[in-house]
Amino acid sequence: MAISRRVFVKSGGLALVSLGLDPLFLARAAYATPRDGSAERPLLVCIFQRGAVDGLSVVIPHGDAAYYSERPRIAVRSSDLVDLDGHFGLHPALAPLKPLWDNKSLALVPAVGSPDATRSHFDAQDYMESGTPGVKVTSDGWLNRYCQHCREHETTPFRAAAFGAELPRILAGSAPALAIPDLQAFGRTGGGGRRDGRTDTITRAFEEMYAGSSTGLISSSAQEAFEAVRMLREANPTQYTPDNGAAYPQGRFGHTMLQLAQLIKANVGLEIAFADVSGWDTHVNQGAAEGQLANRLREFGAGLAAFAQDMGERMRHIVVLTMSEFGRTVRENGSGGTDHGHGTAMLVMGGPVSGGRIAGRWPGLDSGVRYEGRDVPVTTDFRDLFSEILVRHCGAPDVQPVFPGFTGDRTRFPGVIRAV
Amino acid sequence: MRAVILISLGILTAAAPPQPRAGPGGGLVTARDSALHALNRLAYGPRPGQIDSVARIGVMRWIDAQLDPSGPRNERLAERESGTPLLHLSTSDLAQRFFAAQQERRARAQQGQVALADNQMMAGPDELRARALAGQLQQLAVERAVLSDQQLQEVIVDFWSNHFNVFFGKGADRFLLPDYVEHTIRPRALGKFSDLLIATAQSPAMLFYLDNWQNVRSGGWADRRMGGSQNPSGPAAARRPHGINENYARELLELHTLGVEGGYTQHDVIEVARIMTGWSITPPRQGGEFVFRPRAHDDGEKVVMGEHYPSGHGMDEGMRLLRWLANQPATMHHVSWQLCQRFVNDVPPDGCVDDAVAAWRRTDGDIREVLRAIFHGPDFWANANVGAKVKTPLEFVASAVRAVGAEPDSTPRLAQVVARLGEPLYLHTAPDGYPDREADWVNSGALLQRMNVAVALAAGRLPGITPPDREATLDIDLSARTRQVINTEAQGDERLALGLALGSPDFQRR
Repeated sequence: MAISRRVFVKSGGLALVSLGLDPLFLARAAYATPRDGSAERPLLVCIFQRGAVDGLSVVIPHGDAAYYSERPRIAVRSSDLVDLDGHFGLHPALAPLKPLWDNKSLALVPAVGSPDATRSHFDAQDYMESGTPGVKVTSDGWLNRYCQHCREHETTPFRAAAFGAELPRILAGSAPALAIPDLQAFGRTGGGGRRDGRTDTITRAFEEMYAGSSTGLISSSAQEAFEAVRMLREANPTQYTPDNGAAYPQGRFGHTMLQLAQLIKANVGLEIAFADVSGWDTHVNQGAAEGQLANRLREFGAGLAAFAQDMGERMRHIVVLTMSEFGRTVRENGSGGTDHGHGTAMLVMGGPVSGGRIAGRWPGLDSGVRYEGRDVPVTTDFRDLFSEILVRHCGAPDVQPVFPGFTGDRTRFPGVIRAV
Repeated sequence: MRAVILISLGILTAAAPPQPRAGPGGGLVTARDSALHALNRLAYGPRPGQIDSVARIGVMRWIDAQLDPSGPRNERLAERESGTPLLHLSTSDLAQRFFAAQQERRARAQQGQVALADNQMMAGPDELRARALAGQLQQLAVERAVLSDQQLQEVIVDFWSNHFNVFFGKGADRFLLPDYVEHTIRPRALGKFSDLLIATAQSPAMLFYLDNWQNVRSGGWADRRMGGSQNPSGPAAARRPHGINENYARELLELHTLGVEGGYTQHDVIEVARIMTGWSITPPRQGGEFVFRPRAHDDGEKVVMGEHYPSGHGMDEGMRLLRWLANQPATMHHVSWQLCQRFVNDVPPDGCVDDAVAAWRRTDGDIREVLRAIFHGPDFWANANVGAKVKTPLEFVASAVRAVGAEPDSTPRLAQVVARLGEPLYLHTAPDGYPDREADWVNSGALLQRMNVAVALAAGRLPGITPPDREATLDIDLSARTRQVINTEAQGDERLALGLALGSPDFQRR
């Protein structure tokens, strides 16, 4: 079928409205047949740790003497951490991820980050989301550009979705993308929970108004919303029990991961998912094996582990990528915390991952190799890591349009995805 | 149940009587058009009948009255303010309540009921009381936005609350923020920018939020620990600050004054941090006031962007730095640009910014005069900029409640509606505050939520609203297409018509 289902639904739905028919009739018709191999489609989940996570406390280089000498108050004792290979260890709060390392579905990328020198949260997040370090005028985000340029999968308004009230910069752009503050509330229009003739009237009236309003962002966002509402009503994700005994941690992150799992299992055609989790800007009293950062990491690790367990077999087609705008100073500061630094650590998890290994080059922590004399240097450009995942997992033929001005040399891929 | 809101569909379709052009040199045709535009920008939208009353007074006279701080106060609002318990509590009162709540939470955490980082679940009575007070601060902002007659004051307070953002959820800021909003921001919102900048620099809320109370000379001086989310994990000595902390210095330059393109380097950030060492807070249990601690101050010589600060001037160095920053050309441009973005267009026209900067230069940063220059400039009235802004969630909710002549009740529920739409007040974690651009607020999920709120409000099902006593007429500007859809679909159902009007694409703009 040459014509995309999305376009069909959009124009066809409006035509039927003018004939006085229930637009849901068409939605049912369009989605009655299962999307071809929807469960087999590669899915990428990106999680942004906003606030600059201390990479040295995530993937701990306990084999580097400087780690202990520079961090007398906040280093995790070697007896407390989860050793991985004799040199690196996981923070003890991330212990639930160890089985994924052991079964080779978790790769760790230390010393990854941006080629840009900024230590501003906002600039660095902006660059990591726009995918164009140092360039402020880029209007769209790199995940959105991926959706723009790789359109063969585009059949559903749920292709790209972010959890949260605001659509993040990384998904902003001309390709449709949804922001979902709360999955249960999303499917309701008309202010009430129950669907009846009146809510259909309201939905139809709004749809008409917005369709005719203009060609701007308001109009296109509204159209995406109406399509998504129809699909979600069909999928009915309100009843949900995690599989395989997975237990999501309490708190916002755990709830987000649970909703993401619901959406994936609703088979609505999700390909790109995004969520963020904050609380990493640990300038003061960061703590070591226990403390402020440990508490954040505990929720983070438990959320990721529960998601993997809940997904079970589906993880064969899922890659979860964590990112953060930069790392933090090697040396602890005067307040028992760390200040804005440069390189950080990212996690890549899932069935397609070439895991159980440290990816990219670890430069060590000697003062001579530090960035500007104080920070972990960047040996893996975040675009090399993201490119590898887009090419080797998502199947992007070319990342030039996604990361403009970036050469995208495959020999620089850090090797986080298994060769098929 | 009392009849909720009656609107006459006739009003929706009635054309305004043509009148002579009112805006200075702009494209708005009638006095009513100009009045609506001004009400959409200097205010949270019109209340019933207000377009006519502003048109009658003359829109420029109304604008001047909004710029006049001695204007009449709304008595109903004053009553509500005096009936808000939060405003009768001192910072130390609030601190006591906060620490009681914190103790309760820790006790629960020790019993293993819930992780310390997670404050959402199973709160005890002290926590619930503390949370109720927090809700009052947010609710107060919404009440003022809806009810105040000094609308511009409320709009500009919202602007500065974001420009000098402090995250309500960070430790001691849970009890320091009310004082910050009431006594740091509000009295200076239409004054001199330098006064506002200095007041924020000396505010306990900002000193805590951006860690400057921990910013001490190298090898420095121990300070007492503040309460809050910083979870202790070692002996007290290990938590003492030992050196500079750049956090405030960086945001002072990047966000509060010069802007990220303002020409400073990492070295300047460090020098500014050194100048600000010793700007601290007294122990919060005793009220948490600003204090300069000479022993924590770095006495060496500093150089910031070529300006020399000779050693040994203590707190005066910081005062000199802040006054200097307040009137740097980069600061004038950066802040004027943001004001034009707020009041004119997401992408501010150069002319608007130039006018604002010229007024700034002329008046030494008098915010009132900078705003006057913007409102008197041709860009403010240009056709291309009318209706060019998308409402923030606060603007959407406040304008909808105003449009139907309703009032918020005294519960925090209307503030919770604003939060659900994506703008929990005072809870933006990053120091840049909530954004003010269409792309940041328009997305499919947010639009659905707005439609739901609109329908619920019209149906009398939106929590937190006292319906108006009298018959309200809806005074909003709808396109022909929107009117036609409403007339066709609502079939005389006035509540439905109202819900559709408030949820329409037209009403998302201002």
